[in-house]
Amino acid sequence: MSAALCRRNGFWLASLLLVSTSAWSHTIAGSNAVFVQSIDGPAVAAFLYLGAKHMVTGYDHLLFLCGVLFYLARPLQVLHYVSLFALGHSLTLLTGVLLDLPVNPALIDAIIGFSVIYKAFENLDGFRSLGLRSPAPHTAVFVFGLIHGLGLASRLQAFDMSANGLLANLLAFNVGVEIGQLLALTFIFLLLSRWRRRAGFQREARAANTVLLGAGFLLMFWQLSLWLLGSAP
Amino acid sequence: MTPHDDTPSPRSLALTTGITALMAGGILLVAVLPAEFGLDPLGTGRALGLLALGDASESPLENRDQPHARDRAEFVLEGFQSLEYKYHMNAGDTLVYSWAATGDLVFDMHADPDDLPGEENVRSFEQATGARRSGVYHAPFTGIHGWFWENRSFEVVTLRLEASGFFDGTVLFRDGGSFDRAPEPVLE
Repeated sequence: MSAALCRRNGFWLASLLLVSTSAWSHTIAGSNAVFVQSIDGPAVAAFLYLGAKHMVTGYDHLLFLCGVLFYLARPLQVLHYVSLFALGHSLTLLTGVLLDLPVNPALIDAIIGFSVIYKAFENLDGFRSLGLRSPAPHTAVFVFGLIHGLGLASRLQAFDMSANGLLANLLAFNVGVEIGQLLALTFIFLLLSRWRRRAGFQREARAANTVLLGAGFLLMFWQLSLWLLGSAP
Repeated sequence: MTPHDDTPSPRSLALTTGITALMAGGILLVAVLPAEFGLDPLGTGRALGLLALGDASESPLENRDQPHARDRAEFVLEGFQSLEYKYHMNAGDTLVYSWAATGDLVFDMHADPDDLPGEENVRSFEQATGARRSGVYHAPFTGIHGWFWENRSFEVVTLRLEASGFFDGTVLFRDGGSFDRAPEPVLE
């Protein structure tokens, strides 16, 4: 009996920290979902954590960021692009949830898949080879930031979040997203910097962006199927 | 605008993009649609056993071969007496329960797995003081699942418990002994 009694305090934390075993279902799942719905009032730390976790485990956001960072060698450039991306997704995350904008998660995720295709295509010098000017990359990152933010908003909208403390929780989630993004970016940036210094980079870069392109296609097709067919039976 | 030396020709770009898109589409048709959507346009889902992944997803309906069981119990707890009453359930089994007492009891709803005996493997789900609880319980593992109740007053408290669900036995721990009982099926 005494061992059982000791376990009680850990339960709340454990349910929060439980790492989702299915990384492929990129939603707020399981115990986290139960928690989000049960919360009534501000729970800043919890939403901070959920936002960060969503970003770090969000392969769709990560793939896009890989594409954006691929040819950015200087930290200042990275900061510039990432700020635009953050500004974009914060705008739509906040307005999306606060105004309860009706967004279809599958359709938004399909466009997020398209953002990966777009960035990989640009990295492959696709626009130039077609004799087109690359659309302004800063604008593109900002616009795709808006789209990614709608994706984040749709995740939170899927729950009946209590109006009590909504703004605080939402802001906490947003800050968490930025923290998670910073963590992921540092990792991606260091890895890419190292890779860029290697002799075979040019050739490998082409292969890597082709893989990125394929991943973008798969993401987009997958989410379009979800949009057209509805969820699995 | 002059292309870089390493800018691909439109032909090779179209080829790369096209092949990549086709491969992604292929993965979708061969693996994703069968596993995630239960659709099998190429028959690969059946051949590779991927359709089973989709079937394993949670359905709101879960049929059972056996009828469920029902249990009703009443206990009298004198001042500072305690007892434990549990249901033997298999992993995934569900129990619907209500209990009410004539006075407050300290209780611990917990479970002991069959295959891992010992105090350290006990999992506790709720510890509180109260006179009634109702709810649904989903057994996370095979073992005995139920309540420890303790009367920490000088008054005599009567406790009534009703439960229905999938369980194949009950066990009462009281006064240093344990008493097993087979459940009563709802249908003969």
